[in-house]
Amino acid sequence: MILLDIKNLTLEIESQSGWIKALDKINLVITEGQIHALVGESGSGKSIIVKAIVGAISDRWRITADRMTWRGQDLLKMSVRERRKIIRSDISVIFQNPKSSLDPIVTLGNQLKEVILATNLEKGMFWNRAKQRKKYASELLHRVGIKHHEAYMRSLPHQIPNDICQKFMIAMALASQPKLIIADDPTRGMEITDKSQILKLLTRVNQVRKLSILFVSHDLLAISSMADHMTVLYCGQTVESGRMNQLRRRALHPYTKALLESAPSFRTDLPPKSPLSSLGGTIPTFQHLPIGCRLGPRCPRARRECVKVPEVRRIHEHTYSCHFPLHRDQK
Amino acid sequence: MLRIMLRHISLLILTLFILSFFSFSLAYLFPGDPLVNLTGIRDSSEQTYALLAQQYAMNDSLFSQYWHYVNNLFSGNWGLSFSSGLPLAEEISRSLAASVELSAYALIISFVIGLPLGFLSGLRHHKFIDYSLLSASVIGYSIPVFWAALIAILLFSVQLGWFPLSGRISLLYDIPYDTGFILIDILLSDVPDKEFAFQDALRHLVLPSVSIAIVTSTIVLRITRRSVVEVMNSEYIQAAYARGLSPRQVFVRHGIKNALIPILPLLVMQFTTLLTNAMIVETIFSWPGIGNGLIQAIYQRDFPAIRAGMLAVSALVLTFTITSDMVIQIFDPARRRPEDATS
Repeated sequence: MILLDIKNLTLEIESQSGWIKALDKINLVITEGQIHALVGESGSGKSIIVKAIVGAISDRWRITADRMTWRGQDLLKMSVRERRKIIRSDISVIFQNPKSSLDPIVTLGNQLKEVILATNLEKGMFWNRAKQRKKYASELLHRVGIKHHEAYMRSLPHQIPNDICQKFMIAMALASQPKLIIADDPTRGMEITDKSQILKLLTRVNQVRKLSILFVSHDLLAISSMADHMTVLYCGQTVESGRMNQLRRRALHPYTKALLESAPSFRTDLPPKSPLSSLGGTIPTFQHLPIGCRLGPRCPRARRECVKVPEVRRIHEHTYSCHFPLHRDQK
Repeated sequence: MLRIMLRHISLLILTLFILSFFSFSLAYLFPGDPLVNLTGIRDSSEQTYALLAQQYAMNDSLFSQYWHYVNNLFSGNWGLSFSSGLPLAEEISRSLAASVELSAYALIISFVIGLPLGFLSGLRHHKFIDYSLLSASVIGYSIPVFWAALIAILLFSVQLGWFPLSGRISLLYDIPYDTGFILIDILLSDVPDKEFAFQDALRHLVLPSVSIAIVTSTIVLRITRRSVVEVMNSEYIQAAYARGLSPRQVFVRHGIKNALIPILPLLVMQFTTLLTNAMIVETIFSWPGIGNGLIQAIYQRDFPAIRAGMLAVSALVLTFTITSDMVIQIFDPARRRPEDATS
């Protein structure tokens, strides 16, 4: 079943030189039980997509989309209140900076209890609620692998290590028993052991509870180990999307190929001491976006036609938008 | 916590010591003979001069003079006022209490006005109401206090006659001196017509405290607004929205406290500006406070009164500032160190 279906999502940000398209016709489909990776360089608009989905939107943004539905309900048309209700019960977000996404002066226990919905508690009189909440909260903490929950629940965010904070965020995300968890770069700046713990935790949650995860990151290694679908983003445009193994085996878009090649662990044929490949240039700033395919100036295969935005093409589950895809022309 | 207290108390003692030294040296910096300045007795005979010099330990070394001075300060012997001939310790404590009372009410008024408006303006950032409040605050901030006070007198006492012109309470009432705060004194006393006296004192309070509060409440408004805007744009507020909490829940549970904590020290510090403004307004309303007293003392070259008054005011401001800083540091949860959760 399709949970989240986004078609041609465009988000414009007001600036001094007019409206800039921070997201340009983004497509994203997430089905039930799927781990979907959203990959892209920093500044490619990954976090903005997350914000657009959950509705944490600034006044100076303008959002248009052909379709943006949550289990068939249109997210854009519904009122703020209805949308909030859906987000509260069905979608949870894990942010990239656990410490700054937690209120610095409220104890972690209270913040965790705050997101527990009354409907998730057993039926009981209201004086039992506090106790039930506490029990539920400590269960959640055990589930994410925090042992000394009593001490941690009493502390404030700045008093505890980063990975514990992130585990708390995951516990908070699980609290409402959502259908979809959006993990916005959850392992950023973490040590490798903490990182693998968090990733394992997310994978387990996905397998045990049939929970979909939208995993936003630029850590290809982590993504390839857990995700089954991947959408590649460049500068606010969806470049390529499809099954993880398909993309790895046969990337059609030059950017996807460059991205995969930039990670040495994906290349079995890499001889020792050979230079690592990377795309020339840097990601353009929002003020100086190129027209047409935004990869144009950096693309090794760019030709004159690339000043027009390429249409989305589809081969089974695999979609890409490029005028001159790899592999295709060889046939 | 003990360390914070020790640090602040040692800072307080040290600064007070330096202050006392300054006020001691004032007697030598005033033009003329220090002994004449301090006693006010001119052209005394040689005998009386010698007697006075002995009394003030003038013939000893500077250090023992200072020691003598500090001893006198602690024993409450602050000298006599030239103009009234009364002991200064009592006079200053009376007028200081009057000033503190006035500033305290002004502070309360400015909090009551400034904080809610600041929150409102911060929540409606870049909207019409924000801009209008901001421009109103700029106007309020730019008005000189003395001018505002004079206009207020002209309008509300002279033209409309709503409030009395000056003073602290009508001469009809004789309130015995107890705490120095007139409202409390009235409540404690057993004068006849207590309610009327209270009302009268309140009516006397309105104009001076409001004209002081104008400036401070604009400052409070701006500080609060800035902080609210900052907090509401912070990541954890966005995160709270993303968790599906309603704007009201987000604001009440996470917004208010976080917005208030950084500004509390700033707000408390406004007390000192308030006291300065109060000293100006006092002279206009002939409020029997320390500002009025000091200015009278300066006009009359009442050197002991100037010296003791300055010392009292600066010691009060200093003690207040350092104590409030200490209290805030002790209670601020954001500065709490890791205690039991480091395992």
